[in-house]
Amino acid sequence: MAIPILICDDSLVSRKMVQKSLPKDWDVSISLAKNGLEGLEKIRDGLGEVVFLDLTMPEMDGFQLLEAMKEEGLKAFVFVISADIQPEARSRVLDLGAMDFIKKPINSDKLSTTLKNFGLL
Amino acid sequence: MSGIPEITEDQRDCIQEIVNVAMGQAGESLACLLEVFVQLSVPRIRLVASQEITTELQQLVGGEDIRVSAVRQAFYRSGGELDIQGEALLIFSDTSFHDLADLMSYEEELTATVEQELLLDVSNILNGACLTGIAEQLDFELGYSPPSLIGSSLTTDKILSEEQLSWAQALMIEINYRLENRSFNCNLMFLMTGDSIRTLFKAIDDFLDEL
Repeated sequence: MAIPILICDDSLVSRKMVQKSLPKDWDVSISLAKNGLEGLEKIRDGLGEVVFLDLTMPEMDGFQLLEAMKEEGLKAFVFVISADIQPEARSRVLDLGAMDFIKKPINSDKLSTTLKNFGLL
Repeated sequence: MSGIPEITEDQRDCIQEIVNVAMGQAGESLACLLEVFVQLSVPRIRLVASQEITTELQQLVGGEDIRVSAVRQAFYRSGGELDIQGEALLIFSDTSFHDLADLMSYEEELTATVEQELLLDVSNILNGACLTGIAEQLDFELGYSPPSLIGSSLTTDKILSEEQLSWAQALMIEINYRLENRSFNCNLMFLMTGDSIRTLFKAIDDFLDEL
């Protein structure tokens, strides 16, 4: 069965880049969200078993989304894909329950390596 | 010279994302240098016609009496079929700049030499990361000159020369870095000829087509 994945990023270009970097033979159904609030709703609806999450977004940013998920007890494999590559950003999101932190710009090698590390491929 | 090119939503989004990634790299360098956590925000992108540049700058810094320091750095595309030439201008308000000096723990008096050094260091980090980032992501090679100081405590109408205003259009990139309790913001502006801007946009369209 296809894995429901969610790409949450305010930038169209960035969402496309993540989509393009997904492994070609990976059986997934893709949902998209433009900010944390939209993302949160889709995760509640079961559309995000695996989530690729940007940090800097309007309405609700990536940190806030992770906090909200923690509060509501929503479980997902969240991979943060961010341009904010400070070590502190990384440790903050890992503390908030993200699986891993991938530096932008994303590409298929980086994404596959990460997914393999977590046994998702 | 024909008018300013239209910028589509996709092009804007693309430049914004590319600059965002580049500024993330610059933010990391800045965080290391200052030993603080830097809060990043999404850069704002606009195209501005030459006759609007000075007014635009005044609005950005908060008024015609506001004093700023400005640094310039020329860049050019090497090895492409079509030329891109321009100048990156980085503009700091004087207050922003004093906060920055404070963070760098310059306890002794800020002499003109120290100020200048600090400005050039920070400009090098921000401009360098931005230009390199844009070039890398769009897959072309950019060469650039070392940054040089235009001046300190200038009013915005003194930043650009008549000569620059005669050819330049500007791609304005508004960058805000918030540093814990202090705010530090600066404005980055790429001055380019209309032709260079069109060439840059062509590269952006190619990039978008490949997605």
